[in-house]
Amino acid sequence: MQTENILDTEFKKYKSSADFVAFKTIHEHTRDLSVRNGKPDDISSFDDQGLLIEIMRDGHIGYGATCEMTSDGIKSAFSKALQMTEASQKKSVHKFTDHIRPPSRGEFISARQKPLDQISTAEIYDFLKKTSQKLKSSDQIITAASDAMVIECDQRYLSSNGADFHQNFNIIVNSLSSTAQSGSETQTRSLHGGRGNCLQIGAEHFNLDVALRDCETISHEAIELLSAENCPTETCDLILAPDQMLLQIHESIGHPLELDRILGDERNFAGWSFVQPADFGKLQYGHPMMNVIFDPTVSNEMASFKFDEIGNPAEKKYLIQNGILKAGLGSLESQARSGLSGVANARSSSWNRAPIDRMANINLEGGDLTLEEMISKVSRGVIMFANRSWSIDDYRRKFQFGCEYGKLIENGKLTKTLKNPNYRSVTIPFWNSLAGLTKPNTVETYGSPYCGKGEPSQIIRVGHSSPYALFKNIEVFGG
Amino acid sequence: MDKSYLKKFSENIFKQLTADEDLGLFLHSEDSLFLRFNGSKVRQNTTVSQHELTLTYQTNHKVINMAFNLTLDLDSDLNTATKKIAQARIDLPLTDESPKFVEMTNNGQSETYKKIERPQDSEIPKIISDLFSDSDLAGLWCSGPLRRASINSKGQFHYFESDYFFFDYSLYNGPKAAKGFYSDEIFNHDKFTAKANDTKNKLSLLQKPTVSVPRGQYRVYLEPMAVAEILGTMSWGALSQASYNQGRAPLKKLKENELSLSEKFTLLENFNLGLSPLFNAIGEISKPEIMLIQNGKLENFLTSTATAKEYTLISNQASSGESPRSPEVRAGTLNQNEILKKLGTGLYLSNLHYINWSDLQTARMTGMTRFACFWVENGEIVGPINDLRFDETIYKIFGEGLIDFSNEQEIFVDTSTYMKRSIGALKVPGALIENFNFVL
Repeated sequence: MQTENILDTEFKKYKSSADFVAFKTIHEHTRDLSVRNGKPDDISSFDDQGLLIEIMRDGHIGYGATCEMTSDGIKSAFSKALQMTEASQKKSVHKFTDHIRPPSRGEFISARQKPLDQISTAEIYDFLKKTSQKLKSSDQIITAASDAMVIECDQRYLSSNGADFHQNFNIIVNSLSSTAQSGSETQTRSLHGGRGNCLQIGAEHFNLDVALRDCETISHEAIELLSAENCPTETCDLILAPDQMLLQIHESIGHPLELDRILGDERNFAGWSFVQPADFGKLQYGHPMMNVIFDPTVSNEMASFKFDEIGNPAEKKYLIQNGILKAGLGSLESQARSGLSGVANARSSSWNRAPIDRMANINLEGGDLTLEEMISKVSRGVIMFANRSWSIDDYRRKFQFGCEYGKLIENGKLTKTLKNPNYRSVTIPFWNSLAGLTKPNTVETYGSPYCGKGEPSQIIRVGHSSPYALFKNIEVFGG
Repeated sequence: MDKSYLKKFSENIFKQLTADEDLGLFLHSEDSLFLRFNGSKVRQNTTVSQHELTLTYQTNHKVINMAFNLTLDLDSDLNTATKKIAQARIDLPLTDESPKFVEMTNNGQSETYKKIERPQDSEIPKIISDLFSDSDLAGLWCSGPLRRASINSKGQFHYFESDYFFFDYSLYNGPKAAKGFYSDEIFNHDKFTAKANDTKNKLSLLQKPTVSVPRGQYRVYLEPMAVAEILGTMSWGALSQASYNQGRAPLKKLKENELSLSEKFTLLENFNLGLSPLFNAIGEISKPEIMLIQNGKLENFLTSTATAKEYTLISNQASSGESPRSPEVRAGTLNQNEILKKLGTGLYLSNLHYINWSDLQTARMTGMTRFACFWVENGEIVGPINDLRFDETIYKIFGEGLIDFSNEQEIFVDTSTYMKRSIGALKVPGALIENFNFVL
């Protein structure tokens, strides 16, 4: 039976069986290919298809999920979900009304020129093979890896109060990396770090000429790192490239602003937050030049959508404006629980998990400097590129991050290449030490397919765009 | 979902293969209950029926893995699988031979069933909410059967089914928190209450004034759960043969005898813990014990048959990711009653959080202290600490800095639920370590 038929037919059977009922189907087709040293490392695919049922009883929402997309399977899933929702509503955290499930209707199709169902697995493999071969530019490169996750995702949501929307996403996560080794020294350089190179895009992404140029740079820099000096250990100025800023924004802005963390839902797993409800509208989060937006409406970024997964229409919103904390990342449920304003961010990793507060696209707006002007302002400092290590505490205060590639800045000029560049700081002092941002035309867009959170745990896709950013007096260190 | 469905499905799908084709089936199936608590009340209840089947199709030294979710409608599922095989016949000829191609073989047949006794699902919200009505609790209840199977067209049929539960939680008094955990073969209300009271008592110890400890090097005692966090991070590649060959090996210097670990550190894969399937995704059965590091010397990396094929090595039937599935760190001699005395002055750490490699090549990792962690002076707890960031190498933690392990170990079942439930366990002691480096 086709998913669409099942959803419409079965939903009609159950939509009046509780105070509120919604059915969400997800069908996600992922092709995941890896080529290492010009040979296949992994060729795989996954058709992840299933149904999430939402049931409201006496103000409590419970969930039932199944991949048994048959009448019997859905009947069983509904029955189990209803039983547990009835048992749980007597002990529920909060009593909601169906206002937290807007009756949204519409459609979203992510931006693409050539839909991903029009590129064959063999074509993807060929692209990866050629780039992998190019990445292995010398015998010192022991691992030349070229990977792609090619994702086609289809969502549909129907609710008993009238919601009916459909969203379709084409997504590519493409990574290129070279690992060079000489004696006991091993260094890896990649295209924007791990899996940071990800977008909502079609097959036009696979531009071989551009990718081969990237491969040449990556493999050259991997070998360069073998003989580079370690990053010095000192307190100095720090410039972060956009492919490290993505992680900085994610960990020290995105997560602490999630209202479900502030409300304590995540305390046992991902953690709490140093941000308090009273901080909104008051806290000087960073330097006044700092403007951060939640924006799922931009084209091509990793987490763009028209509605979140409970039907709240997506809108751009300032989270931090002129350095002041303005709003949190809270869905309609968290807004109802906290009395705070929020955004459209109830999202789940797939059909088998309940929606929770998530980042989508969290972006730092550009400033007024060129990169050359920014570097020229630094008498001694380090510029760091591409994340490779990350850790932050459960309140999102103390962090330590590491990058793949650095350059020493002396008297306003880039000088030596540095290996193992790391830095550590504390969130609020760090963002208040912001001293410059490059212009909007230097903003680069990355993201991650692997943001982890939730009990049971979920991995979700996020997007982050940023200019280069200059911070004063930061503790940096090497390997 | 049960064994008979898989039998019917596999018999039908194998009939479609030609003489030069092989097909393996790997099943992950679960019928789970997840109850998420905040403030000792239910935040979200989710029931999940998930049956993920991976088809491994092989021909002419080429291989493709194709996963999909079973609907449990046999015709529909066979139709999906048939289409996937047809697509593989188009795609695979246009790729190259795999350097780590493993010929499919019949690795035998087995069936394992594990049952537990636990309350009815619908009773759990009340049991937990009532027991912790005097506390501020956040946590996750997880229960239900989990199934794994590895079947192939050579006649192999391994099936594993285990019902289990765990309750992973923490209790709060403002920002001060204590961690609790309960999992057992028989849910015993008295035992559960006793464990809950232990956690409540631990939280009460945190009422003393907080001590601000400056960065520096300290003597520390890591409770078993903190050691488990470190071992969990080591599982990301540190024990993998492929990681070593491909330049991502934190223990490269151990392997090449440039550095050593303490003679007191012994780490093995121990399937005798009995909490994981004995077979891996391709149906290979591991030896009951595989010594990885013995008395500080690297004995074996975990080596899958695919890695062994690629680098001409001997397989120890590791999983494809070459992470440990049932690791054990051997106990030491430290008596539980003497831990504070032996610690003397330093940090007593119950948990660590968000550990990641900060420098893979030197086996250095960074992370945070979390939950009930205390400053101790002359064997007496002074008070809880503000959380500290550490940055330290494995060669210090389990090498020159290791004083001793505790003589008692704890078993932790795998609580990971990313996308689907994990299965497995680890068994570790606590560890007394000197000169542990805190940086922020």
